[in-house]
Amino acid sequence: MTARIRSRAGSSFGAALVPVLGVLAGCLPTLAAQTAAPPGRSARLDPVDGFWQPSSYRLELSAGIAIAVTCEHGSPCEHMKATSDNPAIVEVRPASLGVLERGWSGDAQTSAAMVVVGKSAGATTIRVHAKEGDRVIAVTVIPPPAH
Amino acid sequence: MRLLPLVLVAAGCGTTGALQQVSLMGQCAESDAACSRRHPVAPLAVGATFHPELETSVTGTTTPTLRLESADPSVLAVDASGALVAKAPGASAVLISADDGSVVDFVHVWVAPVTAVTVARRDGDRIVGSIGLAVGEDLVLAPALWNGSQRLVGDASVRWSASSDATISLLHDGSADRRRLRARAPGKATITVALGDAKTSIDIEVVP
Repeated sequence: MTARIRSRAGSSFGAALVPVLGVLAGCLPTLAAQTAAPPGRSARLDPVDGFWQPSSYRLELSAGIAIAVTCEHGSPCEHMKATSDNPAIVEVRPASLGVLERGWSGDAQTSAAMVVVGKSAGATTIRVHAKEGDRVIAVTVIPPPAH
Repeated sequence: MRLLPLVLVAAGCGTTGALQQVSLMGQCAESDAACSRRHPVAPLAVGATFHPELETSVTGTTTPTLRLESADPSVLAVDASGALVAKAPGASAVLISADDGSVVDFVHVWVAPVTAVTVARRDGDRIVGSIGLAVGEDLVLAPALWNGSQRLVGDASVRWSASSDATISLLHDGSADRRRLRARAPGKATITVALGDAKTSIDIEVVP
């Protein structure tokens, strides 16, 4: 069997230059949603704009719903660990994704991912720590529609 | 992120996880059409149980040891045997995790109340009128649970009753909800199938 490798930067020199400049400028890792919200429920990750890159992230999630989020910094984040300030509102679990991501330097690493689960309505914070830097996600868990 | 295409197994039906690494199917024999129709692509009926079978499609590994967890046990619980138990209307993520707790995949499962019960033959043909049987003849019937026009899935504790035990016997056939009707003596009987407030009746005429 062959490993699945996804090229993130492509062959364009310009595209390859962007993450290089980002690293040189001290950019922090970026987060991205990898799964869609189910019908009638919310699972949305948005960056909070900063000067050069997102200053933080906000996540709106329905109770009982999950979303997968990846962390990268030119290539998958190293030693990523995420914690919830209030696991009763939102739970964070590491995710095992069997896919390789090729970074700007040409190396390939297994995706760094987590799964966030809305447990009950409320607001809290997820703190993502990786070798490349830390990120904060402000989470709002909304109740499901009444039946 | 899109992973390997999923290989669905014999029943030809199942739900692929959001990360496309795990498929969740019913525990059905290939030839058991009545069972395979219970695949969890439809909502589970409140009060029903679904016995899942898991299969992964991750390059370079067989299926690891997996366990299921519910994001909202008040909507959908996971019992000690790994079965999904529908508790209340709503939706809940079912997390499929490896032995270290890391999530390999997840599936959002919906639960809906039962508004109607119908009865079908084992091949899925719905019973809409009366049934005539000869003495000694058997007929296997299975209930179908509905929420409006949407068919629900899962094994439910459906109540079967016959107006005349002398005319018709209702026999278990190894399934939680199916029954085998045996025509015992000439006459007429009514079979009633109920789950909660939803119920339906079938007229049976047994001839010599």
